[in-house]
Amino acid sequence: MALETRVIEEFRSELRSVDINEAPYDKQGYHLAIEARTGNLQNIVDFFDKREFYIVDLFCVDYQDYLELVYFFNTHRELCRIKVTLKLDPEKPVAPTISNIYPMASWYEREVHEFFGVYFEGHPNLTYLFLHDGIDHYPLRKKHVPVPDEDKKLLNSFKPQEEEDCFFINLGPQHPSTHGVLRVVLKMDGEYIISADPVLGYLHRMHEKMAEKKSYAQFLPNPARMDYPGALLFNLAHVETVEKLCGIEVPERAKYIRTITCELNRIASHLLWLGSFPADLGGLTPFLYAFDDRENILDILEDVTGSRLTYCYFRFGGLYNDINEERFVSATKRFVERMRKRFDMYDKLITGNVIFINRITNIGIMEQAMIRKYGASGPFTRSTGIPFDMRKVDPYAAYGSIDFEIPTGHIGDNMDRYRVRMKEMEISLNIIEEGIKKLPQGPFKAEKVPKKLKPPKGDIYNAVESTRGETGVYIVSDESDTPYRMRWRVPSFSNLMTFPYLAQGVLIADAIATLGSYDIVVPEMDR
Amino acid sequence: MLNDLNTLMQIVGKEVVRTVLGLIGVFIVVLGNAIVLTWLERKVAGHIQRRIGPKEVGPYGIIQSFADSVKLLGKELLTPANVDRPLYFLAPSLIFVPVLVSFVVIPFDGFLQVKDINVGILVILAFSSLTVLSILIAGWSSANKYSLIGSVRSVSQNIAYEIPLLLSLLSVVFMTNSLSLRDIAEAQKGLWFVFYQPVAFLVFFVAGVAETNRTPFDLPEAESELVAGFHTEYSGMRFSLFFLAEYTNMFIVSAIAVTFFLGSYQGPVLPGVVWFFIKTYALVFILLWFRWTFPRVRFDQLLNFSWKILIPVSFLNLLVTGGILKL
Amino acid sequence: MTFGLACCAIEMMCTSMARFDIARFGAEVFRPSPRQADLMIVSGTVTKKMAPTLVTLYEQMPSPKWVIAMGNCAISGGPFVFEGQYNLVEGVDLLVPVDVYVPGCPPRPEGLLEGLMKLEEKITGTRRFPVPEPKW
Repeated sequence: MALETRVIEEFRSELRSVDINEAPYDKQGYHLAIEARTGNLQNIVDFFDKREFYIVDLFCVDYQDYLELVYFFNTHRELCRIKVTLKLDPEKPVAPTISNIYPMASWYEREVHEFFGVYFEGHPNLTYLFLHDGIDHYPLRKKHVPVPDEDKKLLNSFKPQEEEDCFFINLGPQHPSTHGVLRVVLKMDGEYIISADPVLGYLHRMHEKMAEKKSYAQFLPNPARMDYPGALLFNLAHVETVEKLCGIEVPERAKYIRTITCELNRIASHLLWLGSFPADLGGLTPFLYAFDDRENILDILEDVTGSRLTYCYFRFGGLYNDINEERFVSATKRFVERMRKRFDMYDKLITGNVIFINRITNIGIMEQAMIRKYGASGPFTRSTGIPFDMRKVDPYAAYGSIDFEIPTGHIGDNMDRYRVRMKEMEISLNIIEEGIKKLPQGPFKAEKVPKKLKPPKGDIYNAVESTRGETGVYIVSDESDTPYRMRWRVPSFSNLMTFPYLAQGVLIADAIATLGSYDIVVPEMDR
Repeated sequence: MLNDLNTLMQIVGKEVVRTVLGLIGVFIVVLGNAIVLTWLERKVAGHIQRRIGPKEVGPYGIIQSFADSVKLLGKELLTPANVDRPLYFLAPSLIFVPVLVSFVVIPFDGFLQVKDINVGILVILAFSSLTVLSILIAGWSSANKYSLIGSVRSVSQNIAYEIPLLLSLLSVVFMTNSLSLRDIAEAQKGLWFVFYQPVAFLVFFVAGVAETNRTPFDLPEAESELVAGFHTEYSGMRFSLFFLAEYTNMFIVSAIAVTFFLGSYQGPVLPGVVWFFIKTYALVFILLWFRWTFPRVRFDQLLNFSWKILIPVSFLNLLVTGGILKL
Repeated sequence: MTFGLACCAIEMMCTSMARFDIARFGAEVFRPSPRQADLMIVSGTVTKKMAPTLVTLYEQMPSPKWVIAMGNCAISGGPFVFEGQYNLVEGVDLLVPVDVYVPGCPPRPEGLLEGLMKLEEKITGTRRFPVPEPKW
């Protein structure tokens, strides 16, 4: 019996008063839809918590007449995506918090609060996370809604309270080890961290707002700028979602090329991480070795896509142009061969180093049970031993016809995260090799894709496995050529939420090693 | 010229002239060494990292570090608003004193030595502890939390590593019965002490790396954690004094290692001073090699390593040396 | 000085890596502290939240100091300018004086190197390499 049918049965017997509806998964990307009310939201969330669901996303949609809070749940065991919605009054939107059940929700609720003005009753710390001091309205509301005065006090309201025996350190927004502009406020007791409090939004570039103003095709370059090390994967997430929404069929050849280029991009992104992680620990040289390999990938991808970093190669229904098969295949094969040999070198340079081993083993241990509570994903999840990978769970592109394994760790410390990523690179090489072997001939683009896409009314959630984890796109369409609302569920954001938990009571050097092992990308978190 | 010098010597006394000339020589060596070392470091780093390094300014980029130091001279001297001014100004000059004094007693050759003091090594060790003081002052007066953490780390690190440093040198002193560097150098005419005291040499070298705050023990200025550590708030010439001191310290540690363990200026064919510099720069090169290969250790690991491994080992070494000499 | 903000920061890193090796010109020392920096490369989008920090950092640098605006975002806001935008500083030259603009989204590492050459030309008045003739 499929999980969703079991859930329906149990749900109906436990919560009689709530409706639960089945949704067409192919069209909408989720199995079940539940409409909650303010009174029973906690019970519903509790029901999913007991059945070991993890929370995927929490966001808001402004339908003018009402605001709709959307919660997505899923399990790590098999795919069973559930959408829970809660309608709110746009004049005075108040909702109960679920951060007491899922600690992860607390950040999402803060985000919804600052962008939509929704209040969450019982929220421990409803302060602004993203926006700057001068903001005077709720940006993602359709109408202009000014920020009331009592809310303005919450803007950047972080005021360190000096206490005895501790002091505050601002790690960032400009700091060598935060890889960009993340700011973490550390409360320190000597070298030990009492608590860590990340402040985001230094690179908030309004992608979600932009999506509402631009047509589907005009938005194409944006995802690449969200996650620049893994640009193609974000590009893919956007394109696949719109294709599913419009029902566009993609030719086989395009699927394979997508898979191969995506895996190349994944290796490039992991190499970037492989360089910067030892750099966080003080060893600068691996950085240059990793970049050396990365340049080889960039050469291949530049030949195909035309740019070095922010690729925009996939189009609705296929690709921008076909690959030069001879050149591409031989270059890729050469790279795969070279890369296989390099792993030994990395083993000697990094993994074999005693200092490196001592610095990262048993540091930053993430328990398997907590992963679910924080909604973490990607290599971060897999390092704790949960073999959850969107490529396997819900195959997209050509992953369904390629056989590969999912590397997992044991205890979820920094060493496991390192090992999982290294292994993932090797597996990506295998996928690339198999993809090239199976690469079919044929068209690279679907015929008759209209220039101006006008998808049917409705909503859809679709996720791909990007380098950092589950990257989901949620689109509400109103039959016009621009999305009514586009929501990005980004992995770095939910992964980073575990940082305050892991940084508690450790040395500052360990906390920085842990932060390095996350492989965060700031523009992706800030969107 | 020579006659003039002789008359001058007769008037003011041989020792004084020798000291003055020596100090001028030391200044030249210190500055020249810093410039050569910055260039060397960038070149070595480049080649370890599969690139070329500086090459545009002068042949092989030799003039690069010279150009950089001229640039640093011309930079504005910023004084942040809420620093502890007297201490803030004092720290960079203070760090330079021990560095210069140490040079006085190092024998570059049988003849080339500013002053042979019969407690030479004690002078070096005593003054090198002053470095810590100036780092502490710099970190404290900067009114910056990163600096403060950096300097506090530096103090506990130097205290921990001074002991094995001293103990490892003592075992050599046991063998020569002299604290004078000249005597120690002369005693190695036959076999170098590194063959008698391999353990002491290793302990000394590791502790020396820690004393000079180089990777893997560069915690006081750990870039990824503390931005630039104790000198975060220093700019222009003041910063370059710290920089100069760091590179000179590297040279001194290597020079002491050469004097105590690697036969000092003893060597065939070439003149002694050439041998001395060859050996010293070989050790400096190893220090650079360390920096560009190893990641940084963690703070507690660093202290544990000293207190739990290096100090017991060097004590044991001292005991064994004493026992064998007694027999 | 490292002031990586967004996508362009990666290309900035590439510039100092083995293939492009900015060190040839003696410019590889990315100092983490603004007090020891000469040149600020603003590589990426400057948001309103980031702006005060950026100005502070610029003021912490000892003069003589220079600024390179790297990438379209730093020059004008680039692709993120649209009607009703609420979080973007449209060009870093609104905050600090800029010496050299390097366009591109992101600029290639060669572009950044050329920007450095331009800056050198501006300071010394002489150009290191001949300007390549356009092929078309």
